[in-house]
Amino acid sequence: MTAVPADAPAPAPTVRRVRRPVAALVATGFLALVVLAAVFAPLLAPYAPDAVDLSSSLVGTGGEHLLGTDASGQDLLSRVLYGARTSLVAPVLLLALAAVIGVSLGTLAAWRGGWIDTFVSRLTDVMYAFPGLLFVVLIIAVFGTGVTTSVLGLGLAFAPTIAKYTRSVALAERAKPYIDAYRVQGMGGARICVRHLVPNLARSIAGYLVVLFGEALMSLATLSYLGFGTQPPSSDWGLMVQEGQSAIVQGALLPALVPGTAIAAVVVAFNVAGVHLADRLGTRR
Amino acid sequence: MKLKTSIAALGLAGLTAVATACSGADTGPAGGTARDVTQLELTPTTAAAAGAVDSVDWLLEDEPDSLDLDTQGGSAGRTVLTNVCERLYQLQPDMTVRPWLVDKATRPDPKTLVLTVRDGVTFHDGSAMTVDDVLFSLRRHADPDMSEADEFENVTSMKKTGAHEITVRFKEPDALFTKALAGDAGLVYQQKRVQEQGKDFGTPGQADACSGPYRLASWKSGDSVTLERYDGYWGDKPLTRKVVFRWAEDSAMVNALRTGAADGAYTDSVGTAAALDGKKGIDLHFGPSTATLDLIPTERGGLADPDIRKALSLSLDRAGIAKSGYGGLAQPWATPVGSGAWGYAKSVFTAAQKELTGAPASPTPADIARAKKLVQNAEHKPDGPIVIGTDSTQGRLVIANGVRAALQQIGLKAQIKTVPSAEYGEFYGDKSARADIDVLVADWYISKSDPVGFYDNGVSDDSNNWVGFHSTAYDAKVEQAKRTLDDAERAELVVDIQRRFTDAAVWIPVAQTPTALALSDKLTGPPASMAYLYHPWAASLGAKKG
Repeated sequence: MTAVPADAPAPAPTVRRVRRPVAALVATGFLALVVLAAVFAPLLAPYAPDAVDLSSSLVGTGGEHLLGTDASGQDLLSRVLYGARTSLVAPVLLLALAAVIGVSLGTLAAWRGGWIDTFVSRLTDVMYAFPGLLFVVLIIAVFGTGVTTSVLGLGLAFAPTIAKYTRSVALAERAKPYIDAYRVQGMGGARICVRHLVPNLARSIAGYLVVLFGEALMSLATLSYLGFGTQPPSSDWGLMVQEGQSAIVQGALLPALVPGTAIAAVVVAFNVAGVHLADRLGTRR
Repeated sequence: MKLKTSIAALGLAGLTAVATACSGADTGPAGGTARDVTQLELTPTTAAAAGAVDSVDWLLEDEPDSLDLDTQGGSAGRTVLTNVCERLYQLQPDMTVRPWLVDKATRPDPKTLVLTVRDGVTFHDGSAMTVDDVLFSLRRHADPDMSEADEFENVTSMKKTGAHEITVRFKEPDALFTKALAGDAGLVYQQKRVQEQGKDFGTPGQADACSGPYRLASWKSGDSVTLERYDGYWGDKPLTRKVVFRWAEDSAMVNALRTGAADGAYTDSVGTAAALDGKKGIDLHFGPSTATLDLIPTERGGLADPDIRKALSLSLDRAGIAKSGYGGLAQPWATPVGSGAWGYAKSVFTAAQKELTGAPASPTPADIARAKKLVQNAEHKPDGPIVIGTDSTQGRLVIANGVRAALQQIGLKAQIKTVPSAEYGEFYGDKSARADIDVLVADWYISKSDPVGFYDNGVSDDSNNWVGFHSTAYDAKVEQAKRTLDDAERAELVVDIQRRFTDAAVWIPVAQTPTALALSDKLTGPPASMAYLYHPWAASLGAKKG
């Protein structure tokens, strides 16, 4: 007999109306559109993202340029479409790195307990106390600017958050009887963790990562905005906001507004969809 | 955490949505109202003031580092101090130079300069200025640790030779020395006070040691600098009693001037001036300056071949850059020195500038074809992409993009490397900082109104000759020009030097940037040219109406 809990009984049929998660559906639909726009950017964009046209500087919305142009005459629609690629892929890579480190540390701490748990917990506390962006700026000061350094640095900065979360859910999971059952069968700790414990945590962690996605995107955009991330003529959204900032004082809002709105909309959509998904996956129970 | 992120992001989304609604059919005024770069008129002066003003609020782009320009020069400190301290010679709004605290200057022979110091000048504590104060000041400037020491490299001795007389002897005749005395090398300090204050001289809380039309009333660190009229001034009495300086960056400066919180500013950034163009209550004045925007090829070697540099120069859309990056307030320019450097022989320099064909305002198809041919026949074509170094200020980024487009047009690859603005300055002084770039998007100005002061940079062993241009004939001509005291003769030499420099495209000029003075429409009087850095501009500031 296994200690795996039986499936929960099916709920009794009721006539109560099920509340539809409209906001989450809208957010998910919007994100799907953003992903499609990023994938098909070469087909959708009317211009090359880095095509300079000095005769069309700071042009407003219109037929030739639907969302206007920046100071160098680069088409903002094309740039924001292409920019979706780096702006979406980089946070995925960042979170993947942070998840590998964070889940390993969190699981190790929860599984071994004792001084290892104390050490990992204090280490993550120290990392927590140190502002993440400052930590990344220090890394960039040593290894130089660029999107790779930003992703690696932020990956390390995000890892303690995930480690702490993983530790707390792994502690609860470890106390479950099926783990003891595997032990009784003589299965090694590493095998139990890799084959059984971590896969059972996957739903929770995945939900948490989706919620973190918005923050990761915003952090990368911040680094690009500060000049530490991607380099021109990249159309990374954070960099676009930074480049468009000077034009605001001249009354041309679009160069900063278009990428700024894109960042805000995607971050909000990820948070709304992420919170819903996390609830569904059991992260927040 | 996620709640905070959501709220922040929602707030941002809301704000941007509101802004979108407000911006409506915004077409980007800079695009719509940019001035025609060919029509920009530069006038060195503003109309003379007629009435007195009690107090004027003036803006600087940042707080002065120090008011001792020998140790820490900067345009903010200079803008303030030029009203407090006087120089032996004075730069005029039209960029000519005339004796000021010097009553008379004679040259008994080409290697000797005899200065007779003006009588009747008093420092702000009431004591008379003596020849000993002047000699002390000159020797202080000449100290190897001071920033003006290079102006005295050709000087063999400076001695008091009479009650009001100083004799300066040179190794070789020096055409630029009196021009340097109109700059920071000619500042006259009160010996007693400078020595009393020691290392504290020029710091907040210390009194000034000068004789100018204004005295330093207070410097509250982090807040303001206040100047008050010096009633014992030997020259004309200023119309404005008090000038209070505060500091603000671009957008804050624009807002302060637009709302009347400040009465005026000389804007270092042309972008700031562009944002103020046509705004109610503000008069904008543009005057000649020595400043230019340039591309400086570096030691890395991507632009080591003169043919590649010439090709880039031919294919660069200077008019487009001036309009897009600088709201039409910069002028496409074919030399690396602005017209403010023409302190003499203006007609000669104007004519010579027009003859240069290597830096078109807008490249024609013929220019592009010529550039492509130069690239094809170049001996050392760059292996990889040419790396353009810049920070991300709007104007420089537009230049970098313009250079990228120009290089691509003539079949070369380009890449932009940006650094934060705080690090950008390191490109100029630190060779290792520019090790990864082939060309720097640069601003450059010279303090003397003589182009020879610039063309020094192309001499074989000069520290600013990054690309390693070497020409014995060029070096000899520059040396000869520096020794030629006759203006007309020197102008001819300069024209020849300028042609050699531009033919080899040692630097690639982009545009000249004028001095921009933003002034309340109730005020007038100060110079609009770059002379404001070395001329007591506040002394001529006053109300339009009496």
